[in-house]
Amino acid sequence: MDVRIPILKLNDTLIVSVQWELDDQTAIQFQEDLLEKIHDTNARGVVIDLTPIDFIDSFIAKVLGDVIHMSRLMGAKVVLTGIQPGVAITLVELGIRLKNVLTALDLENGLDKLHKELEE
Amino acid sequence: MNKELSENIKHYIDDIITSWQEKMKKEKGERFFQYMPNDVVEKTSREFAELMTSNLLVADDVNETKLTEFTEKVVRFGWSIKFVNKSIENFSEVTFEILESEGVINDSNLRNYVKTIMAWISPLRDSIIEAYSVEWERTVQLQKVALQELSASLIPVFDKVSVMPLVGTIDTERAKLIMENLLEGVVKQRAEVVLLDITGVPVVDTMVAHHIIQAADAVRLVGAKCMLVGIRPEIAQTIVALGIELNDFTTTSTLRRGMQQALKLTNRKVVEVETEWM
Repeated sequence: MDVRIPILKLNDTLIVSVQWELDDQTAIQFQEDLLEKIHDTNARGVVIDLTPIDFIDSFIAKVLGDVIHMSRLMGAKVVLTGIQPGVAITLVELGIRLKNVLTALDLENGLDKLHKELEE
Repeated sequence: MNKELSENIKHYIDDIITSWQEKMKKEKGERFFQYMPNDVVEKTSREFAELMTSNLLVADDVNETKLTEFTEKVVRFGWSIKFVNKSIENFSEVTFEILESEGVINDSNLRNYVKTIMAWISPLRDSIIEAYSVEWERTVQLQKVALQELSASLIPVFDKVSVMPLVGTIDTERAKLIMENLLEGVVKQRAEVVLLDITGVPVVDTMVAHHIIQAADAVRLVGAKCMLVGIRPEIAQTIVALGIELNDFTTTSTLRRGMQQALKLTNRKVVEVETEWM
C-alpha cells in the first residue's frame, strides 16, 4: 500500500499533518514529496504538526532533522508543532536536539511563529 | 541445658533485675532509668526480663513466634537501638555474673553455659537489629514518596507563563520526574515560557546541569521556551568552573527578573495603575 502524507498549501506556507506513526519508507517518501512541493510552490514556510504521534524512533527523528535542514537550504522555514512530552523525552534521550528548529505548542501558535519569523 | 539455665535465671531473677537496673542507670545516652518514676522502671524491667527469658523457656532451639513477640514488644518501648542493644548485652552479662557468683556456673560446665547463653542472646539481637532497620527503611521510603509528591509541580502564574520551583537535591530519579511533570504541564497549561527556579537546589554539578539542559531541550521541542532562574553566585561559580555550557538558554539571577523577561517575550508587561477615587 502506498501511503503518502498529505501536504496542504496555504498562501505561501505548506501545512503537513502527520496522522499516524511513520515507517521508514513513508518517511523517505515524505522527504521527497515535501521538497518537491516546496520547489513547485515556492513556499516560504512549512509547518509540520506531530500532535497525534506518540512515538518516534531515531531514524524518523533523523529524517525529520534532515528534512528541516534541506527545506532551509531551499529557502523555507520549518516549524514543528505539537510534539508530545513522551516524544520530546525520547528525542532528548536519543541525543537528538533538533537545534535551531522552531517549535510551537500547536498549529495555531506554529503559524503565528512562522509569520513573525518571516516578517523579520 | 536451656531448661537448666532458665530455671536458674528464674531462681535468681530478682537479683538479676536489680543489678541489671544498676548497670543500666550508669549508661549514658538514654535517660529512661534516671528520670522515670520507680514503679514504671520496675514494671518495664520486669517486662523486659520476662521477654528476655520467654524465649528460653519454650524449647532448646530458637522459637520464631516468641522471638517476634519479643522484638515487637521491645521496639514498642521506644528506646534507641543502641540502648536496646546495651540492655540485652548487660542482661546477659549480669546473668552470667550472678550465676557464676552463686556457683551455678563453675569450671566444669562453663563451656556449655557460654554456648547456651550465646545461642540465646544472638537471635534476640539479630531480630532487634532487623526490626529496627526494616522500620528505618520504611520511613525512608515513605519520605521519598512524600518528597516526590511535594517536588516538581508546575505552577501557572500568568497566561503562557509557568514556574517550576525546584527545592532540594536533584538525583536521576527526581530529574526524570521533573522532566515528565514539566512537559506534561507545559502542554496542559499551554505555557509558552517556563521558568525553572533553582534557588532551592543546593548543589549544581555536571549531572544536575545535564538533567536541566535535557529538560530545557525537551521543553523547546514541545514548543515552549525554558529559562533558568535563581542562579546564586556560588552556583554560577561552579557552573563556570565545571565548564558547563548553558549558552543555549536564558538565565537570570532571580525569579523576578526572569519573570520580567518572560513577560517581555510574550509581549506583555506589568504596569502600575493609579487608584481611582470615588
